[in-house]
Amino acid sequence: MVGYDGPIYMTQPTQAICPILLEDYRKIAVDKKVVEITKHIHDNRALRYVELLPLSGTVQEPQSTSNAFTPPLTHWLLSPCILIPSACETPGTSPLMLVDDELEIKAYYAGHVLGAAMFQIKVGSESVVYTGDYNMTPDRHLGAAWIDKCRPNLLITESTYATTIRDSKRCRERDFLKKVHETVERGGKVLIPVFALGRAQELCILLETFWERMDLKAPIYFSTGLTEKANHYYKLFIPWTNQKIRKTFVQRNMFEFKHVKAFDRAFADSPGPMVVFATPGMLHAGQSLQIFRKWAGNEKNMVIMPGYCVQGTVGHKILSGQRKLEMEGRQVLEVKMQVEYMSFSAHADAKGIMQLVGQAEPENVLLVHGEAKKMEFLKQKIEQEFRVSCYMPANGETVTLPTSPSIPVGISLGLLKRELAQGLLPDSKKPRLLHGTLIMKDSNFRLVSSEQALKELGLAEHQLRFTCRVHLHDTRKEQETAVRVYSHLKSVLKDHCVQHLPDGSVTVESILIQAAAHSEDPGTKVLLVSWTYQDEELGSYLTSLLKKGLPQAS
Amino acid sequence: MEPAEDWLVESLRLYQDFHAFDLSGATRVLEWIGDKGILVAGYESLKKNEILHLILPLRLSVKENQGLFPERDFKVRHGGFSDRSVFDLKYVPDTRLLVTSGLPGCYLQVWQVAEDSDVIKAVSTIDVHEKEGRLWPRMAIFSSAAPGVLHGARLSSLKVVDLESQKTTYSSGISDDELLSSLQVLDADTFAFCCTSGRLGLVDTRQKWTPSENFRPGSGSAGGRWCAEAGGRGPGPSIASLGSDGQLCLLDPRDLCQPVSLVQCPVSMPSPDPELLRVTWAPGLDNCLAISGFDGTVQVYDVTSWGGMGRQVEPLFTHKGHIFLDGNGMDTAPLVTTHTWHPCKPRTLLSAASDASLHVWDWVDLHAAR
Repeated sequence: MVGYDGPIYMTQPTQAICPILLEDYRKIAVDKKVVEITKHIHDNRALRYVELLPLSGTVQEPQSTSNAFTPPLTHWLLSPCILIPSACETPGTSPLMLVDDELEIKAYYAGHVLGAAMFQIKVGSESVVYTGDYNMTPDRHLGAAWIDKCRPNLLITESTYATTIRDSKRCRERDFLKKVHETVERGGKVLIPVFALGRAQELCILLETFWERMDLKAPIYFSTGLTEKANHYYKLFIPWTNQKIRKTFVQRNMFEFKHVKAFDRAFADSPGPMVVFATPGMLHAGQSLQIFRKWAGNEKNMVIMPGYCVQGTVGHKILSGQRKLEMEGRQVLEVKMQVEYMSFSAHADAKGIMQLVGQAEPENVLLVHGEAKKMEFLKQKIEQEFRVSCYMPANGETVTLPTSPSIPVGISLGLLKRELAQGLLPDSKKPRLLHGTLIMKDSNFRLVSSEQALKELGLAEHQLRFTCRVHLHDTRKEQETAVRVYSHLKSVLKDHCVQHLPDGSVTVESILIQAAAHSEDPGTKVLLVSWTYQDEELGSYLTSLLKKGLPQAS
Repeated sequence: MEPAEDWLVESLRLYQDFHAFDLSGATRVLEWIGDKGILVAGYESLKKNEILHLILPLRLSVKENQGLFPERDFKVRHGGFSDRSVFDLKYVPDTRLLVTSGLPGCYLQVWQVAEDSDVIKAVSTIDVHEKEGRLWPRMAIFSSAAPGVLHGARLSSLKVVDLESQKTTYSSGISDDELLSSLQVLDADTFAFCCTSGRLGLVDTRQKWTPSENFRPGSGSAGGRWCAEAGGRGPGPSIASLGSDGQLCLLDPRDLCQPVSLVQCPVSMPSPDPELLRVTWAPGLDNCLAISGFDGTVQVYDVTSWGGMGRQVEPLFTHKGHIFLDGNGMDTAPLVTTHTWHPCKPRTLLSAASDASLHVWDWVDLHAAR
């Protein structure tokens, strides 16, 4: 739609899971009659080059695959997808990946869903971190998001939930367990429509953990097909899950459940309590809808909707409170079973956003997806706590951020040592003038001594020396004048190395001052002030200082 | 299994509903705005504290079809920053104003909740003359067309100040400088006070200082530190006074000199911080009150048929969530800093603890006949 046909970067689990998510999406899209997406299920071993087709609505037969599950008539083609190399340990990052000679990207573990990542995009010394959805609290199968002190110029984070304080995971789980427990205790059946991936696994693990403790005998089923495929993927991507799961994986595969069994269609008619996870998630078709129709008429039963349902689906209707549904063939289904809406989606809340900003230490923060009026407090909070600027642009608005890019320059050790050897030690609070030559070569900046640079360039060195004559009225001998000059300069130039040499001359750093008698006027002395080009600044200063005259001798 | 998971399974039976939140900073304040919003405020020293106006999760506000509301989170509707610790906060009904009291500095801060943004801003202060630096004035609001703030750290400094004109409209005018622990407005002309010694009285502001008072319970200085609340529903005593050693005294406002009962609540030790003692009457249940401030629990009591002196009583329900859900795993168990009843849902309470946790819980009355 936007005409992009370049590479798409994604994490490995995303690449594998993408087709399934898109398949689910396609089904809803068909319901909505908005677009027809053409789709092709990837063989997840290969990196395939395929072209992105405009959404023209051509439908093609899929090539036969060895999978028992064959996708329906859709075709979807992706640009080359490049897998982010594994860095899925939590906390984890991918290595820095070069897109071209200027652009680098890096992925960070984001929790939230399997394979979710936050991205750092870097050009030169400037970088932006874009978070997408992330979760700062670990859940049963995923770790928490994490980012290092990468100090990007800008951190872009979504703020939909920034003004919420989330109920603890434990209480959400408790609520789910309570509902299931109460239903099963009274002999009812619980239907949980799920998407192929995501919450199903989380809830399976939860029930599995508590089934024994709660001493429940009722069976738990998950429907075959996509959910199994998802578990298969999860086993492949076990490194992307949290530590607890990985530890138990060694002893026993967490995704092989003790109490959760594969579902058979016939079981829906069995008497007695049971819990069934079935796809698809919005009750708009397939197995979950079939089971729903069988169980809806009994008030002992319960359906738990674990997420948002698109308008038009049965899920959406019952969540809106509808109790009589018109099915195909003008049949009316009366819904007597209990309907529960539970939200398990995990987003960062106010606390999570502050944690992430604290970890990354950005120079600026940009909040998206919020309403300006409701973000003022959070903006102030971020600005105060982290001393950064916080922006909240409206859709379509442009934000310009000043950055101070740094250009790293290497300084030769020889040059540094020479500088240190001269005169007083450097004072970190006082700027010190350093002479060198900047060589820019092969995107490399070096500061070297002039001699070194000339040598590298094969040029001969020339020295520039300035001499200035300052006339002073002084009737005494040159030597005494020199002493006067020395005393005066010593008292005025406290930060410089002023010396009186045995031959009567005075040096200030490397500048030489000699007193001589005037050839014609004995009352006048001539000060010869001599300096090299490098000491121009100090030389000029000395000259004007001496021109002002010397204090009277005491 | 971890004790937290054990308790969670237990909780299926003990609570109808249960929510647990983590605030960015612990609060000693839980003040209602209407029946859908509460105010919390931080009390840390040497740090900017937040004052937050939180809207309750929708599921707690709806009366029907609760199951169709998945929202379980608090929404931060307004927020502000306080340089001082906030020990008390009162909302001025029918206005957009709040008043806070805290340390350092003995003055009251008045805040305004913005209408067109989500910011709470400091607008003015009310001076309080108190020489002792570590005392902070207690407050209560006389809400009327011209609201006034009743405040004072001692009996002698009790005043009512008109919020708009800042003029003093009432003064206790006495020299008795006993320290106050709580103030409560009962109606347009009456307020109740409780001193730290346990001395309490009802004052009519239309008259010169002649409160109806009690004799102090306990003997002299060994009596511990007390606080009180008036407001019991149903027949029977409507004033409860709680001491730091766990003694609970019930009084009838018509005769404060004769306590109706004096009981000992089962607390493992005296309150480690008697300033946190809280006793509250349930607005939706007869003869029911809750206490906190001794440890990480909130205890609910049915005071029907309590009579006589010195008996031991058992709570109807004990909320232990703050102990078991202590996410920090620190050695020091959290201390409940305050609690409050939901104005409409009879058995729903909110409680906050020193580990910045905030719980909303609806306990099951296991004693009730089925």
